[in-house]
Amino acid sequence: MSPKRKLLVIDDDPDFVDGIKSILVAADYEVDVAYNPKDGFRALQSKIYDLLLLDIMMGRGAEGVMIARKLRKDPKLRDMPVLIITGIREQIAFLFPGGAVHPHFVAVDELVEKPVEPKLLLERVSALLKTAEDRRAQTA
Amino acid sequence: MEGPAKVLIIDDEEVVLDSCTQILKGGDYEIATALEGAAGLALVQSIHPDLVFVDLKMPGISGIEVLQKIHETDPAIVTIVITGYATVASAVEAMKQGAYDFLPKPFTPDEFRLITQRGLDKRRLVLETMALRQEKEMLREHFAAIVSHELKSPLASVQQNLYAFAQETESVLTDSHKARLERMKSSIDTLLKLIHTWLRAYSTDVEGIQQNFKPVSLASVIAQAVESTQPHAIRKDIDITTSIEDGLAPVMGDEGTLVESLVNILGNAVKYSRLGSKVVVKAEAEPGAAVISIADAGVGIAKEDLPFIFEGFHVGKPGPGAEKGSGLGLAITRRIVEAHGGSITAQSELGKGSTFVIRLPTVEAGGRDLPAPAADRPRESQQGGSE
Repeated sequence: MSPKRKLLVIDDDPDFVDGIKSILVAADYEVDVAYNPKDGFRALQSKIYDLLLLDIMMGRGAEGVMIARKLRKDPKLRDMPVLIITGIREQIAFLFPGGAVHPHFVAVDELVEKPVEPKLLLERVSALLKTAEDRRAQTA
Repeated sequence: MEGPAKVLIIDDEEVVLDSCTQILKGGDYEIATALEGAAGLALVQSIHPDLVFVDLKMPGISGIEVLQKIHETDPAIVTIVITGYATVASAVEAMKQGAYDFLPKPFTPDEFRLITQRGLDKRRLVLETMALRQEKEMLREHFAAIVSHELKSPLASVQQNLYAFAQETESVLTDSHKARLERMKSSIDTLLKLIHTWLRAYSTDVEGIQQNFKPVSLASVIAQAVESTQPHAIRKDIDITTSIEDGLAPVMGDEGTLVESLVNILGNAVKYSRLGSKVVVKAEAEPGAAVISIADAGVGIAKEDLPFIFEGFHVGKPGPGAEKGSGLGLAITRRIVEAHGGSITAQSELGKGSTFVIRLPTVEAGGRDLPAPAADRPRESQQGGSE
């Protein structure tokens, strides 16, 4: 069997993190957690993750967006798929009125809204992992 | 009002200025005086007084004109007129110009002190009202952010944990446990939806949607709205029939919010209909406009409620299944329709049903009436819809 996929969750709401972590662990993923952008970025520098689950609204405003921008600039991290999790889809919708709500911070990303049903969460995670893998296979 | 109250007295009699200054001396006032209107108005600009006494009969600019100018400068400044010949007519005229009160000459020191106090009390109230109004506006603006963070986040976390919990305990819970868990999830879901509705009502950026207007087919809007309402209608055995006039011109609009507004009306029609009844949706052309009507044979709206249904937080009487609304659906709908340059009206008879009519301006053949931003874009992207 292939080694466990490593996921990182960056979200400042520990309760919410508990709720998704246990779903992901039950689905046999290895899950690390960072509760603020700083720790999150440190974790990303120190270990290679297969996928990042990122909360957009952390701290005072959209600190998650800053992480996404940093990722985009980093050649090592640029290709990591990101599942953006947000409690504020409507606010994002106001930033891009009328458009499909999908900011595309990095090459492979997808957006889900809090709370996210287990089935949807797992579907999105595995779809993103597969898309990222296909991209790697193409460029290799 | 911080610090001493600023009182300005404009009167052409030096003796009046002197005695008034004398009377207020020792109190917590900053007093300024002017012998005629122009000088007085200059002081209004430079010291921003809280209260201004204006003599009605002065050489140069008339007292009435001074009053007008003061109120143009700052309507929150309280003015009191001093009138030498206390005729009712001149006092009434001054009050019409916005003066708060009048003081007939001659007056005693106590009378002057008292009216000054009353004027400053009024000023405090005016300032407080303004501050409250501003605060209310700020609250409204920040409501979306406050609600989403303070209410939505914890609810979302609870829901997330219920999802996880339900999954983890799947094999050990009895059916009764599971049923209760489902009810919890669905209650939280209802709350989250309610918060969404509030967010929509308070933070929908109506001007924002106008930037993305494209020609929209009403047939498609109606079809989507009916589809989204259908499950509820089927549960109540309600038949939704639609008839759309052939060749109906498209409207310039935002498809998503137009569907939302129709879903609100259709949803209400179904909600307040009796089991097994009918809801009729019609779309017809009028010169330059499309008219969509949604008629139900439900509980209807009381005459006294009808004028208020499009205002926020008006909740109608419960439907036949004791269904209640958030009281915001129609308010949102009206905002959306008005953002499209349209109008919405309702007719209803208690016990017989309601008919809602939405009128939207249509795009004339040849696209002559396309607003500029859309006309600038290539035809293709107008039709393409969102990706």
